[in-house]
Amino acid sequence: MMKNIATVFRKEFYRVVSDKRLIFTTILLPGLAIYLMYSFLGGAMGNEFEDIQSHEMIVYVENVPEDFSDYLDTLDLNVIYTDYVPSEHDELLDLILIGEVDLLLRFPTTFNSDIDGGILSDVLTYYNPGEKYSEFSYGVYMTELNTYRQSVAYDRYGEAFYVFTTDINNDEHIIIDEDKAIGQGFAMLLPMLIIMFLFSGAMSIGPDSIAGEKERGTIATLLVTPVKRSEIAIGKVLSLSVISLFSASSSFIGIILSLPKLLQGTGEEISMNIYSMGDFVMLFTVLLATVLVIVGIISIISAYAKTIKEASMLILPFYFLSIVMGMSTMFSGEAHSNIFIYLIPLYNSINIIISILTFEVVATQYILTIVSSLGYVVIFIIILNKLFESEKIMFSK
Amino acid sequence: MQTLEVRNIIKTFKLSKKQQKLEKTKEKLKVAVNDLSFTAYPGEIFGLLGPNGAGKTTCLRAISTLIKPDSGDIIVGGSSVVKDSMDVRGKIGFLTSELKLEDHFTPSYLFTYFGKLHGIDEELIEKRKTVLFSRFGIDDFREVKVGDLSTGMKQKASIAISLVHNPEFVIFDEPTNGLDVLTARSVTDYLVELKHEGKTVILSTHILSVVDKLCDKVGIIINGKMKICDTLENVKKSHPSNDLEEIFFDLIEEDELGGNA
Repeated sequence: MMKNIATVFRKEFYRVVSDKRLIFTTILLPGLAIYLMYSFLGGAMGNEFEDIQSHEMIVYVENVPEDFSDYLDTLDLNVIYTDYVPSEHDELLDLILIGEVDLLLRFPTTFNSDIDGGILSDVLTYYNPGEKYSEFSYGVYMTELNTYRQSVAYDRYGEAFYVFTTDINNDEHIIIDEDKAIGQGFAMLLPMLIIMFLFSGAMSIGPDSIAGEKERGTIATLLVTPVKRSEIAIGKVLSLSVISLFSASSSFIGIILSLPKLLQGTGEEISMNIYSMGDFVMLFTVLLATVLVIVGIISIISAYAKTIKEASMLILPFYFLSIVMGMSTMFSGEAHSNIFIYLIPLYNSINIIISILTFEVVATQYILTIVSSLGYVVIFIIILNKLFESEKIMFSK
Repeated sequence: MQTLEVRNIIKTFKLSKKQQKLEKTKEKLKVAVNDLSFTAYPGEIFGLLGPNGAGKTTCLRAISTLIKPDSGDIIVGGSSVVKDSMDVRGKIGFLTSELKLEDHFTPSYLFTYFGKLHGIDEELIEKRKTVLFSRFGIDDFREVKVGDLSTGMKQKASIAISLVHNPEFVIFDEPTNGLDVLTARSVTDYLVELKHEGKTVILSTHILSVVDKLCDKVGIIINGKMKICDTLENVKKSHPSNDLEEIFFDLIEEDELGGNA
């Protein structure tokens, strides 16, 4: 039995690895496309950030108090100040609207005396949230105005101004397990991507391997050999799984390589080094079980469909469903504690991947995921076997 | 025991609406093979004759275990297609235009692949490959992908691959289709050789001259029924013209008249 499975496996595997076009589209392209896409995205975001940072702010000012002006000078801001002329007020607002001017900052003429006399003084700011430079300039000056406000208030009231303070002498204020925080980040991002990559890898070759063989009439040649249908099913499912794993690995490597570029400018650093060998082994076993389930589903649909096109169409709803499952956990980044969740195919994988990434694996949940996934694979292979035996399915035109 | 015995097989198909239109009928079921029986013996070539749609292909598909008869059975060298389909598949070499070879692979790779699926060791596969590839002139394109081969070359490769396991029962459906005269001759010569080796050969064809030259026995199927089944000599003797073509057309005419009556 093993011999026939191995023969079918080798041939199916060789079918892909001996075809340069297939190697490129199934194994190289996914990783390359993701790397280029994310690097471009990271590069574009980084450029945007740099562009805003290096922009020379154009700020019109009126009656800026001397102490605030001195304070601003110490900040070394990249800015050109122009004095406000009241008669040109409307024109200036038009310039802000079209993005030629970033900000107008008006202090009342009586600002200093108001402060001294304890009268509430209203500082006016004008900006355009639809223009990135204006929005940025407003952010910068609001921060500095707040600082200035606090210093003025402190001058006036002394420590009484604060009413109360928080955490001035509390060194233990932030209690964080940094590895876990990084893991949480991975847990929000990776499960959906992993399922998507595994699915799209299997989708790119599954329909051709089974529906394609039906369509081209080559499956009949295989069916007249003294090989059990179950051996054909297992051989095909295994080889498709291995190739899907290659394809998913390629996508995964693409993500990992593009992470530094994606995060450039944000100052964050993310590395997979936080995980131990044991975590990786667990992750790998889950991926293996998951890919078998996915390939099982795709194989059944492909055996049922009359053509590659029909198979690809029928697979799409399952693909979307898997993405929805992945997305449902994306925002919480937490695994379910309900034990029955770990019996639902694919959803169990997503949850256990989260548990692994956040260092919260529960042994029973892990075992249940692996065992139930393998159980589903056995059921899928039995169904596939039945489909291969059905003359109606195999020879319907 | 090396006989191939078709015992009263019946096979009906459900017709789709499209098929009903094509067949110009309102019947939802079509009896493709109706109580068909015949026996083919070792050391002889049995010719299965019939017009298109007569039920030849259905009969051959049933022998090859691709489909199961609704009733009746086919015993191939003591194994039943219904109960021991795996055994049957190991004993037969089946060739029909329906069984295609994958475009991506070479004849040499596929020969080895199918040889392994038949459980033959690699050394023997290589020996068989040398003999059959040289016999059918495949050596020149043995390492060319099937997708790049001409129809005739593909047919040669299919023939060789169907014989990889040196089967006791050889069932060929229109084996000379798409072949040039020379190769067609080498195929028919090989069938005669197989017969002399004591193999049981079933040949389905619509070329009457092939039947005339090669077959020891002949069965004529029309509308799913076996109209006549005997040695070629006896079949010919049954008609004043002593001519297979005349007999064939008379039987078709007879069936049409019977159908119209």
